[in-house]
Amino acid sequence: MPRFFLHIDGGTQRIEDEEGSELPDLAAANEEALGAARQLWAAAILRQQDIGSRRFVIASGDGNVVGMIEMNDALPRTLLDRLKI
Amino acid sequence: MAFNNRLLRALSPADQEILRPHLQFLELERGTVLVSPNEPITRVWFPESGLSSIIAMADSDQGIEVGLAGRDGLVGMPLVLDADRTPHRIFMQVTGVGYTIHGDLFRQLLDDHTSIRKLLLRYVQAYATQTTYTALANAMHTVEERLARWLLMSHDRQDDDEIPLTHDFLALMLGVRRPSVTIALHSLEGLGFIKATRGLIVVRKREELEEFAGAGYGVPEAEYERLIGQLG
Repeated sequence: MPRFFLHIDGGTQRIEDEEGSELPDLAAANEEALGAARQLWAAAILRQQDIGSRRFVIASGDGNVVGMIEMNDALPRTLLDRLKI
Repeated sequence: MAFNNRLLRALSPADQEILRPHLQFLELERGTVLVSPNEPITRVWFPESGLSSIIAMADSDQGIEVGLAGRDGLVGMPLVLDADRTPHRIFMQVTGVGYTIHGDLFRQLLDDHTSIRKLLLRYVQAYATQTTYTALANAMHTVEERLARWLLMSHDRQDDDEIPLTHDFLALMLGVRRPSVTIALHSLEGLGFIKATRGLIVVRKREELEEFAGAGYGVPEAEYERLIGQLG
């Protein structure tokens, strides 16, 4: 299985994913990033923190950027509409 | 030869000599399954080093860590409690060495020597306290605090400051996705408590880490020391 790296970008810093995950394909990597974004939002809301300006930058094993998932992608569409985001 | 396993060490010299001839020394490599869910437990292990994880299974291959046993404990606790199996899965997550003893023989020795049984029952009580505080941490604490607790618990069970664990493994231990672990490690590193490199976490500021972990850490460790003896 290919390895994907989920770096976190935005705000004032970038957090490198040094280890990566073995996942079947890019769709699975996107799904992993979305699931992680939901978990990060849950923790962020509890501490009244806004992580909406951050994103996952998905890189393949050779370091090429192959995808991007915004933290906001993990929020319900209706909520984004109501907040006009 | 002196034992490094804290339970074996806490036995009286006479009780140590009763067990010693039946103990077989072996390597316990990372990934070795010591107990499989719902299968008869035929051996008991006393780790001298390394770490084993007790996993509550959600289905046939997924679960979450509910307990930790290294040189502080034994693997195969149901046999101490007159049960022959458990729904849990137990495997080595940090390579170490240890002693093993045949299950039937172990039960017989406990029947014949009350002082050995009593010490191991006190360990079961100490372990139960550990798992209840895991429940507390899971319900009340952030991923960062739980990670701090977990690092302290594994630090307690080894001699040096380097903990050889991948983010994937920590994600399983904490029941979160891997990026949550990456961020939590980054936070603890930012505070200067640890240094995380690929597959290796170094504890830098132990006292600060303890303070940060909050109520999840400290009580079970004090109980262990009261009931058994020195943990570190």
